[in-house]
Amino acid sequence: MDTHVANQSGQPDADDTTTQRTTEMESFSYDDGIVRMFATATIIWALVGTLAGLIVALLLVMPSLTGGLPWLSFGRLRPLHTNAAIFAFAGNAIFAAVYYSTQRLCKTRMWSDLLGRVHFWGWQLIIVAAAVTLPLGITQGKEYAELEWPIDLLIAVVWLVIFGGNFLMTLINRRERHMYVALWFYIATIVTVAVLHVFNNLVVPAGLFKGYSVYAGVQDAFMQWWYGHNAVAFFLTTPFLGLMYYFLPKAADRPVFSYRLSIIHFWSLVFIYIWAGPHHLHYTALPEWASTLGMLFSLMLWMPSWGGMINGLLTLRGAWHKVAADPVLKFFVVGVTFYGMSTFEGPMLSIKSVNSLSHYTDWTIAHVHSGALGWNGFMAFGMLYWLLPRIYQTKVWSDKLVSLHFWTGTIGILLYIIPIYAAGLMQGLMWREMDETGNLAYPDFIETVQEIVPLWWLRVVGGALYVGGVVMLCINALMTWLNRPATYDVPVYSAPALSKHYVEQTKEANTGLEEVPMLDAAKGLSVWARMGWHRRWERLPVRFTILTTLAVVIATLFELVPTFLIRSNVPTIATVKPYTPLELAGRHIFVAEGCYNCHSQMIRPMVHETKRYGEYSKPGEFIYDRPFQWGSRRIGPDLAREGGRQSSFWHWRHFEIPTEFNEGSVMPSYEHLLTATLNYDEIAPHVKAAWQLGAPYSDEDLNNSKQVAFKQAERIAADIVAQGGPANTMDKQAIALIAYLQRIGTDLFATEEAAATEAPAVEAPAEEAPAEQPVTDDAAGDETAATTETE
Amino acid sequence: MIKDLVSFLDYSSCAEVALTLFVCTFFLIFFGAFRLSNSATEKFAAIPLSDRVEDPRSE
Repeated sequence: MDTHVANQSGQPDADDTTTQRTTEMESFSYDDGIVRMFATATIIWALVGTLAGLIVALLLVMPSLTGGLPWLSFGRLRPLHTNAAIFAFAGNAIFAAVYYSTQRLCKTRMWSDLLGRVHFWGWQLIIVAAAVTLPLGITQGKEYAELEWPIDLLIAVVWLVIFGGNFLMTLINRRERHMYVALWFYIATIVTVAVLHVFNNLVVPAGLFKGYSVYAGVQDAFMQWWYGHNAVAFFLTTPFLGLMYYFLPKAADRPVFSYRLSIIHFWSLVFIYIWAGPHHLHYTALPEWASTLGMLFSLMLWMPSWGGMINGLLTLRGAWHKVAADPVLKFFVVGVTFYGMSTFEGPMLSIKSVNSLSHYTDWTIAHVHSGALGWNGFMAFGMLYWLLPRIYQTKVWSDKLVSLHFWTGTIGILLYIIPIYAAGLMQGLMWREMDETGNLAYPDFIETVQEIVPLWWLRVVGGALYVGGVVMLCINALMTWLNRPATYDVPVYSAPALSKHYVEQTKEANTGLEEVPMLDAAKGLSVWARMGWHRRWERLPVRFTILTTLAVVIATLFELVPTFLIRSNVPTIATVKPYTPLELAGRHIFVAEGCYNCHSQMIRPMVHETKRYGEYSKPGEFIYDRPFQWGSRRIGPDLAREGGRQSSFWHWRHFEIPTEFNEGSVMPSYEHLLTATLNYDEIAPHVKAAWQLGAPYSDEDLNNSKQVAFKQAERIAADIVAQGGPANTMDKQAIALIAYLQRIGTDLFATEEAAATEAPAVEAPAEEAPAEQPVTDDAAGDETAATTETE
Repeated sequence: MIKDLVSFLDYSSCAEVALTLFVCTFFLIFFGAFRLSNSATEKFAAIPLSDRVEDPRSE
């Protein structure tokens, strides 16, 4: 175990043929204090993250649960739940794993204790900042990248400079020559998350709490899902694989099944994962070549993923009897099994025909939670239960409670995902079902929601069980901590430092083919194929980091460059104009309220979609959308052609009492928008930021944003009065949101003249399409430009 | 000059080049990994199990 001296002799073997002859011994101890801090944070945030999940699950079945409080609406709390689960719970678990295992794999203390503490408190500050800003509606409106630019800057510094710097310096100062495979996964995690985070969050600030993405529409969607998918890959997969490769052999006391397989696993994942993002955008306005490429690489991901799963499970060969008795191994076995299930299902969902059914439904939610609750959750719990007696230097308080947690959690996961899989399938099939006359069998969207509400209740039960398991973990950890010794024993190890120069023990030039009559080139190939070069990389952390970065960046560029440079990917539409100042303010409210969590703005080229929502979406319609708001789940109907569908007063009433128009609606009341005052002085920075990013605003719009916005608000307020609504509503936030909703999706049908004279969007209903465009029924995305498009 | 160069490039083949690049790299790593000696893989795989400092670890 960890309490014995690492190297009793400290002397190299007598027959050692290397130049390593360092005899000067160095003493060191491991910094377990930082592991204790991150382990504690993991447990606390596990409770917070899963409780937040339970609350948002309850809000879907009881929309008025929080009494219409804006800070506690589903749209604002759902990002809080995802951020807490991913960056707080999983993030702290990653750090606990990295700090514990890296020191032992490198046989050295972390390079800087101070940087470790700054990292810990910096990360907790980021989490608290997220917990404060998201309920306040301060968000970028991009899934898993909701935090605004000041917090993003802090993340970049804490992650890359403080954590990454400390980690890399520890690698450089290690005493173990070979870098074990878990360290490779940590390197890939640190590098890739930094690249993803920085490039997806490039914004032009419009104040301290608002930034506008430098990307728009299709390109923003592409960047976001390049980030989003790889956040799953490099935040929720690669570090947990590193964790698996260290803690599973430790817990089983067996070496990893196949080190060869781990090499293939690592490089394949790093190289393939980065391409797979576009499968989140099948049948959208994304160019089809990108979508197909994403699908193909997603399918290829199945191979290395299952290679990793098999490697993990077969590590237990000959030790399965231990699994029956050891709850830590039970957590690991179920965790790795869920990894296998999720990584089979992920590629399957990326197949276009499957995706056409699953996308925007609860199927995706079930898939995500089988990975998050099963893989990430159970691997983290297994690691924590293995760590607790070691970092607190006492027995775990109750082994029975650990077992109870395992069974409660397992049943909780199953009770969560099975109904939600069923809900996803049901809703997807109901959306596309046609009657004998060729019309939608369920034309009212609300019907498809009401059918799955009972299944959402089952999810609440499953979620509550899972939270119950986390409570058991909290109690067990607390009681274990209370039983800790008065002072922790800090073992001191001694070992020689690594020499700077190293000569291979095996002479690579000796191929055994010297006497064989063959070409020198073939002999050279034989030497190369022995992969001595890879062994060298494994000993050189800086070079290894650079190569991993290259693998990720090159793959990224192959997708990004064509998307950004081929103009035909996003054919421009002459009638698509920037949002007016008031609409821009309304769009800001739409994003702040998190409407995109329930409403998509992307009509796919499928008959059942165009029948339900109208003309399918074109890439050129989104060139001023920062951020894009295509969404990923339809809890409510798509809004891509919402402009002009309803009167302004209808929207006003709908915000106040959604069930008045749709009985059984799960949309909460947004009554606060009817009373909250719109600050017209705050509109100008939004217009200026959009202008800086290329939106062609007139001098009037730029210099008199407030007056221009107020004039439009007066017109909408007058419409509301004319339609039987209240008077003097022009200074309310709802008016701006109505202005935006009435504009969405109408530019495609506007004429050049009408657009030039700023025709009210409400006068261009979606049904007045200039020409019926061909649509496909679950066929590949149609790239045909509308008649109004110009190349 | 950069503008001319970028204009000259044909991005449409990016997907095919990417796929070729991946397949070549995959088989290269695959082939190389299975050329590793048993003694090397056993030593490397045992690193997390032992807290002894063994230096050097090599094939």
